Amino acid sequence: MSAAESATAIHRNQVDLLDFIDWSGVECLNQSSSHPLPNALKQGYREDEGLNLESDADEQLLIYIPFTQVIKLHSFVVMGSEEDGPKTVKLFANREHMGFSNVSDFPPSDTVVLSQDNLKGKPVIVKYVKFQNVRSLTIFIEDNQSGLEITKVQKIALYGSTVETTDMKGLKKIEDH
Amino acid sequence: MVLEATMICIDNSEWMRNGDYGPSRFQAQADAVNLICGAKTQSNPENTVGVLTMAGKGVRVLVTPTSDLGKILACMHGLEIGGEMNLAAGIQVAQLALKHRQNKKQQQRIIVFAGSPVKHEKKTLEMIGKKLKKNSVTLDIVNFGEDDEGKTEKLEALLAAVNNNDTSHIVHIPAGPNALSDVLLSTPIFTGDGEGGSGFAASAAAAAAGGISGFEFGVDPNLDPELALALRVSMEEERARQEAAAKKAAEESSKQEKGGEEQDATMTERASEGASEADNKKNEFLQALAMSMDEPASSQDLQDTEMSDAAAEDPELALALQLSVQDSAKDSSSQADMSKLLADQSFVSSILASLPGVDPNNPSVKEVLASMQSQSEPRQKQDEDKAPKEEDKK
Repeated sequence: MSAAESATAIHRNQVDLLDFIDWSGVECLNQSSSHPLPNALKQGYREDEGLNLESDADEQLLIYIPFTQVIKLHSFVVMGSEEDGPKTVKLFANREHMGFSNVSDFPPSDTVVLSQDNLKGKPVIVKYVKFQNVRSLTIFIEDNQSGLEITKVQKIALYGSTVETTDMKGLKKIEDH
Repeated sequence: MVLEATMICIDNSEWMRNGDYGPSRFQAQADAVNLICGAKTQSNPENTVGVLTMAGKGVRVLVTPTSDLGKILACMHGLEIGGEMNLAAGIQVAQLALKHRQNKKQQQRIIVFAGSPVKHEKKTLEMIGKKLKKNSVTLDIVNFGEDDEGKTEKLEALLAAVNNNDTSHIVHIPAGPNALSDVLLSTPIFTGDGEGGSGFAASAAAAAAGGISGFEFGVDPNLDPELALALRVSMEEERARQEAAAKKAAEESSKQEKGGEEQDATMTERASEGASEADNKKNEFLQALAMSMDEPASSQDLQDTEMSDAAAEDPELALALQLSVQDSAKDSSSQADMSKLLADQSFVSSILASLPGVDPNNPSVKEVLASMQSQSEPRQKQDEDKAPKEEDKK
């Protein structure tokens, strides 16, 4: 976890976007009902290595995460095991209600191939310019590391900052002359 | 009250001209469709239903998912029968129609009426099923009409591929006197996984059955919940009281029964032969009672079926009841509770009272009941006398 810690230390302005997720609208297609999305996303569940998000009919997963306010996405962490952790991950910003049939209809905002380091917790930095004004994020996990039938994700964490909030600590009192 | 968008796939192929489901298969389907639309709309006003046909020139969407019942009924009018059903294309078009539903919050469901032979391979259907599951679309299959080789197997495979936690169902409806829609009413397709549509389905079932209510006490819990509840509670209280009383009686009766074992077998046979006339409700009741008590004893089964021609006259009824009670009590101690119950006079009298045409105040009934209370041997002598008399009466 030291890699993750140093990563968050470097990007000090970035916060864990867990608090801004609109849980009522979170959806995941092709998840196994015994291993649903909250296992990977929710605080506490995602730290537990025994609880994974697993895919059902085949190895792809389509995760839709709306936010309660507009955010900028800086980086994300996807953790999984060596063989059945995700490999190719495509991110779509502000696309509502996608299905597996239209993932190829428009280009993703970003495409990432996860390495073993990433799966151990090293954050992936995204193309920041593409994620300046994000209301909802769709994560499409296309395949897994060894091409197995089922993809297992242990943890998904998103890091970024919000757009509207002002950093109160940055405000300094103007000194009177 | 699941919020749902449903696409109904109708089979309008040549096979639907057949009249084995009255008036014709196609008409039966149309009625079923109307019922389903009504049920879905009633269980949640925001539900939408759409209809498409699978045969004819090609798959054609008649109406996209809408909550307007009038539109759906109108589109069913004037449909033509012809061609061959294309199940795979039908399901895929239905999936597409659902994908473009207006309210994305609705769950997606497809209901397929498969009345003609399925020409697709099992593999194809399984792949389609997998795709449906991946996109979280649930599927209900109504298998009726033609039943050629492999059709049921293919449809079951399709269901297995789609099914996620029992949200998808298949029902097989054979041709028969009952209308297709009536049979459907009792299936999970209507009862909607135990929630929502059951109210509509229940009341429709009551209407369709022509007044014979399937409910426990002849009262629709939806129409009069308080009365139904009161009836149920009082019945349970009565049962509890009976059981307590029965246990006391059982101690006495078990002593008596041990004495008269050998004679019981012949007595029961004669009694059941003698008891030949009755109305059907009593038959069924007796049969059910006897069968539930006589499960371990195979020899009893023959007597049970004979007892289906059970007594019109009260003494014979009580007689047969009582004798079968004795027999089964001897056969299995585990059945003792039930026999004790029956040996209990008050319970028997309450049963008799509930049977139509039986008046507990009838002197002959009273006589028999009184005789049940006395010792077994003198009782059996009485039975012996009665049984030949009954045979004479015939």
